Amino acid sequence: MKYKDYYATLGVDRGASEEEIKKAYRKLARKYHPDVSKEPNAEERFKEVAEAYETLKNPEKRAAYDQLGRYAPGQEFRPPPDWGDRFAGAETIFEDLDLADLFEGLTGRRRAGPRGEPGPQPGRDYEAAVRLSFEQAFDGAEIELDLSVVEYDEQGVPHRAPKRVKVRIPKGVTDGQQLRVPGKGATGANGGRDGDLYLDIQVEPHPLYRVAGQDLYLDLPLAPWEAALGATLTLPTPAGTVSLKVPPGTRAGQQLRLAGRGLARPGAGVGDLYAITHIVMPGVLDERQRTLFRELKEASNFNPRAHFEAEARNSQ
Amino acid sequence: MKIEISEAITIEGGEISFAQLVEYSGLSEHELRELIDYGALSPREPVEPWSFDASALRAARIAERLRRDFELDANALSLVLSYVERIEELEAEMRALRAGVAR
Repeated sequence: MKYKDYYATLGVDRGASEEEIKKAYRKLARKYHPDVSKEPNAEERFKEVAEAYETLKNPEKRAAYDQLGRYAPGQEFRPPPDWGDRFAGAETIFEDLDLADLFEGLTGRRRAGPRGEPGPQPGRDYEAAVRLSFEQAFDGAEIELDLSVVEYDEQGVPHRAPKRVKVRIPKGVTDGQQLRVPGKGATGANGGRDGDLYLDIQVEPHPLYRVAGQDLYLDLPLAPWEAALGATLTLPTPAGTVSLKVPPGTRAGQQLRLAGRGLARPGAGVGDLYAITHIVMPGVLDERQRTLFRELKEASNFNPRAHFEAEARNSQ
Repeated sequence: MKIEISEAITIEGGEISFAQLVEYSGLSEHELRELIDYGALSPREPVEPWSFDASALRAARIAERLRRDFELDANALSLVLSYVERIEELEAEMRALRAGVAR
């Protein structure tokens, strides 16, 4: 088992009072809690801080921790010979445990019903991050997750065990969404229900489509003559190409809506896809094209800045 | 070894009962009642037995985490929850605006 210096994690002395420990924790929690922090690695840092506080705030756990001895952080160590008997249960195997599992087990063992007999204990919920491609999110996907979880045997002794879970992700999930997989958390004890597995969904951005709720947005570049005269185009959508009619006189920044081409979500209908028009000039004009544009200039009395002139007149 | 496939369920959409909220959120019945009293969680109808939009589970789980990690009481929790909700609404609006702006 690897040693962790909980006092150093919280930045307090070994002799710190409960009040000092609490204060140090609160300051760090404010800084690193994933719900409020924008720091990089906030979640990881917060876990370390919370783990240290969980043990040091409880006088019994803190005493048990102090009795482990002092080592360098990360150093392999074994608790003193009688430590298991006094605090964790003689059967505890330390090698496959993390320090946090060990100390969590210390409270787990003491939970009991009103007469001291163990009551039903619901299993803990697990939480895992799942990264999906845009296509997986759009179509739904079957994924396999390898979790490393703590299980307790009948004596209440904790063991770390690998757990593989296969999950079907419904179609239409979006970045930041949370899904629940019932019964795939830790096994309940003494007739308690099994915990659930919560999945925090991350969806990789797509080079073409941007997601907002169930709607998708796509940039649609048009040549000036396509915008002016109208055109029928082939447009990619996640569910396959479609034909799109661009009306004559289309301006830049218009949103052409393709109904029902967004994300479909079971029980929540389907979103739309919006093609946002851009008018793009060809990079290089040859002589003939320049001539044609000059002719267009002569033929047109269009003034795109008429409103500037009105403004200039008013301010005189 | 063949692994059975499990269905992942979206938390949004649908309905959740008060009893389920107690069961899944990790908050006690008393704590949930306090959050309802303070207006942090709103049942669909004010009369019991209460039911909620399923998204209440997400709010209740955030509340549970904040209560545990920051040692907040129900009053402070309900205030923080209202901010979290506003931030989420603003983030959704920002995503929609950003997505709708031509690049």
